Amino acid sequence: MKSIKLTFAIILFLSATTYGQRYITKTGHIWFHSEAPLETIEAHNNQVNAVLDIETGEMVFKVLMKSFIFEKALMQEHFNENYVESDKYPNATFQGKVTNLEAINFTTPGTYNAQVTGKLTIHNQTNNVGATGTFEVKKDVILGMTKFNILIADYNISIPGAVAGKIADEIDIHVDIVLKELKK
Amino acid sequence: MKKILKIGAVLAVLGILAAIYVWFFVYNKPHRDYENATADYTLSAEAFYKHYANGSEESKKYLDKVIQVEGVPSSIETTDSTVIVAFAFGSGMFGDEGIRCTLLPNHHSQVKELDHSETISIKGHCTGYNGTDVIMEQCSLITK
Repeated sequence: MKSIKLTFAIILFLSATTYGQRYITKTGHIWFHSEAPLETIEAHNNQVNAVLDIETGEMVFKVLMKSFIFEKALMQEHFNENYVESDKYPNATFQGKVTNLEAINFTTPGTYNAQVTGKLTIHNQTNNVGATGTFEVKKDVILGMTKFNILIADYNISIPGAVAGKIADEIDIHVDIVLKELKK
Repeated sequence: MKKILKIGAVLAVLGILAAIYVWFFVYNKPHRDYENATADYTLSAEAFYKHYANGSEESKKYLDKVIQVEGVPSSIETTDSTVIVAFAFGSGMFGDEGIRCTLLPNHHSQVKELDHSETISIKGHCTGYNGTDVIMEQCSLITK
């Protein structure tokens, strides 16, 4: 019995140490912006999952596509049904790393420039993406912010000719997260 | 000649009416009114979450439907622009896992005053499961 307890304690200890200190949010805000000659489109998602391991610099995002809210209901319908096919591919994910970890001190308050690269999966298509942004380290939270562009064509999304003037080929993606330490 | 003009005028009016119709009811059609919609399914928050967490076939029928759940919330989280009521039934890589409901702006003040230990009912648009939580958008608090 004692040995079981001991093994259990060791496993607990190991599992706690294999992961570094993680900062998470489930209320990340991601919005995208498309500016075409005939129309400007913006959609917001306020329930984005994000995790940052401050020791390894690893980052993971998980974004439920149907939670993007558009100004116009018709656009939201087209986005879900025709473009990203969110019934078939409900989530977008990003799995990557902070590449300039040596330049960031996650335990000392301040604002740091960050470079993040990784794999972004949307509509079941995965591409390598890179972005620069900032981490603002505060007493209890880490604020992360970035903006980058993606090409719709890279994600196997085809826009019919009839609406070509309304949707840009290149979409701006904005990310705004407030990460809190995950208490074990 | 006069006849052609008349026909032309009628067609022009019909055309304008069609354009107005398309503009207001197709292109600018409003978002569904989730606040006043009748719930397609009403069940306990825990049962609702478990359908998703266990990957049961039943969970598919909830997608994009109006769901009303009842339970005791684990937390009420506020950010700059949003208020989220969370129910927790498990835990994982991102901490607590359960159901997360984004409230409509006109329910924010009422939700912020909630007593955490009381059972509440929330109705909203189920947008699916992200691997950790079931997400509901455009939610309203049901007052009895």
